[in-house]
Amino acid sequence: MILKGRGISRGRAEGNLVLIQSPFSFLGGIDTKTGSLLVPEEMKGRQIAGRVLVFPVGKGSTVGSYTILELKRAGNSPVAIVNEKAEPIVATGAVMAGLPLVDKIDLSLLRDGDYAIVDGNEGTVEIPGVVEKHVVSCILKKGDRILILKRSEKVGTFRGHWAGVSGFVEKGEMPLETAFKEIMEELGINNAKLVKTGTPLMIRSGEILWTIHPYLFNVDESRVTTDWEHTEYRWILPSELASYEIVPGLDNVISSLLASDRNRKSQNDSEY
Amino acid sequence: MYLTKEEEAILDGEKGYGFQKAMELLVAIGTVYDADRLVPISSAHLSGVSYKTIGDGGLDFLSDVSSDARVSVHTTLNPAGMDLIRWKEMGISNSFAQKQLEIIESYQRMGVEISCTCTPYLTTNVPHRGDTVAWAESSALSYVNSVIGARTNREGGPGALAAAIIGKTPHYGLHLDENRMPTVIIKADIGEGIFDHSLLGHAVGKIVSNGVPFFRGIRPSQDEIKTLAAAMAASGSIGIFYIEGVTPGADQYDLNKLEKIEIGKKEIQEVCESLNTGREPELIALGCPHLSIEEMKVLAKFLHSKKRKKDIDIWFCTSRFVKARCEKEVEILEKFGRVICDTCMVVAPIEARYSCTATNSAKACNYLPTLCSQKVVCADSIELLRMIT
Repeated sequence: MILKGRGISRGRAEGNLVLIQSPFSFLGGIDTKTGSLLVPEEMKGRQIAGRVLVFPVGKGSTVGSYTILELKRAGNSPVAIVNEKAEPIVATGAVMAGLPLVDKIDLSLLRDGDYAIVDGNEGTVEIPGVVEKHVVSCILKKGDRILILKRSEKVGTFRGHWAGVSGFVEKGEMPLETAFKEIMEELGINNAKLVKTGTPLMIRSGEILWTIHPYLFNVDESRVTTDWEHTEYRWILPSELASYEIVPGLDNVISSLLASDRNRKSQNDSEY
Repeated sequence: MYLTKEEEAILDGEKGYGFQKAMELLVAIGTVYDADRLVPISSAHLSGVSYKTIGDGGLDFLSDVSSDARVSVHTTLNPAGMDLIRWKEMGISNSFAQKQLEIIESYQRMGVEISCTCTPYLTTNVPHRGDTVAWAESSALSYVNSVIGARTNREGGPGALAAAIIGKTPHYGLHLDENRMPTVIIKADIGEGIFDHSLLGHAVGKIVSNGVPFFRGIRPSQDEIKTLAAAMAASGSIGIFYIEGVTPGADQYDLNKLEKIEIGKKEIQEVCESLNTGREPELIALGCPHLSIEEMKVLAKFLHSKKRKKDIDIWFCTSRFVKARCEKEVEILEKFGRVICDTCMVVAPIEARYSCTATNSAKACNYLPTLCSQKVVCADSIELLRMIT
């Protein structure tokens, strides 16, 4: 997979990720003489030399910029840095030490130990070991109820979990084509009306990066005919979702599709 | 951030390594802050001078950059880790001095004025109102933003150096009107004098953090403003402030809806108590920020005709510029301690010799425990001098 962020400091380097989940200060956060972490407690002693250091945001004294230089000098520096949001102390230190720095990366898509290629010129983080798969997740709505389907034991993934109408986006296919195709195949419905296209959602599961394309459709008919992929279907209120075992991301897909729908409606209301 | 063709070429290394690094730094900082472009500056002031703070990493970096880069605007320098001439008297080791002098040589090679003071605005680097500049040193940049009405962000040492080399700085933050607007009114009721203004600054920095205070109820002298600005920038990260009837630029803003905070003598007293962590100072250090001519005169006037009764080291920290203009005062002060230039109690490696230091500066009190492992005695300068006379 290739994640697109923002290049702050130029250059390209690769190595295994050391992933710190809390704001980090180079001054006091690392032993410059050994290149091992002093914080956070559970990562104490972890070696960062030759690794790609990942943390959400830098913090602490401006002397931290010089600490990065000191690490470089001692041969103990990381080969690159990845942040959620870069700030000037780390940015300055990275440039001075000649380390690539990329920010605006969603750290929830990375795993400690991943092998990564960081490109500060392009602003990308590539994880060659993780494959990208695009799927559609279609939520059908009738009145105030939405349709969820229980995945059968014959499907390849997430057997027995509840989902929307979903399917892989095949090569050469546009996600919306996939959506219409799946609704027809799985439910026998050919007159669903597209109401809303959601922002694609990315979820990391093991060595797969799922990019979920959410769609909201209105239908008139509540009777559907399921095929081999599903064993059951239910029309539920969105608030009832919590009591079902669902596929990853379905809750986010539904809340984003419905929330933006409501916002748009209320904006319209206020205009009139 | 938009770059001109010329700026792109520098980024690609057409003017050599030092210019390229400088441009990379400006682009990185500009990108982090979503600046739209670079704007020309008329002067720069650099921090990151003491070997104690920048270490061998900083030394190497400056040496590399200075191999082919030169500053393109008038650029002055913050205090170093020692008096560049009298370092032996300060008990500085040979190895430290050697490294410190290498750092100074790198700056000199780049065309930086080796003034080594945190008060360049009292000496040779005096911006005009409306000037765009790139200054590091939190106290000095706050002073030129607020008292002079020039415009600078709170630059770090490397960012200011990069701006000095390129002659430009990213356009964001305190360069923009909307970020210079007062955010809170401070109604102050305090005594006269430098010490009370320093404590006031410490209190306000703690409360306001990175906001923009508008002061009412004080009419400070230049030296009182100097120490106020320094303390606020150390306990908080205040880069600009206003004083009613004293500093320029607040007329254009509507102050009516701002929150008001009162700070009186009681709060000042509490700050003073909180800063005092020691009892028996081994060093009395005055001049954070560096002593002005006026302050030198006040101290000399007090010590004139007094006898030294107790043996505690005293440092009067000032700029070479001020020292040269105070010959008579220096003569008096030297009978009691050392008039030290180019450095101060915070950036010199005093922890090698002392464990408890007395000062009248809330800014110094803020840094002495962490940067210099010191216990601190915090009091008015005359009160401190009474300890030895």
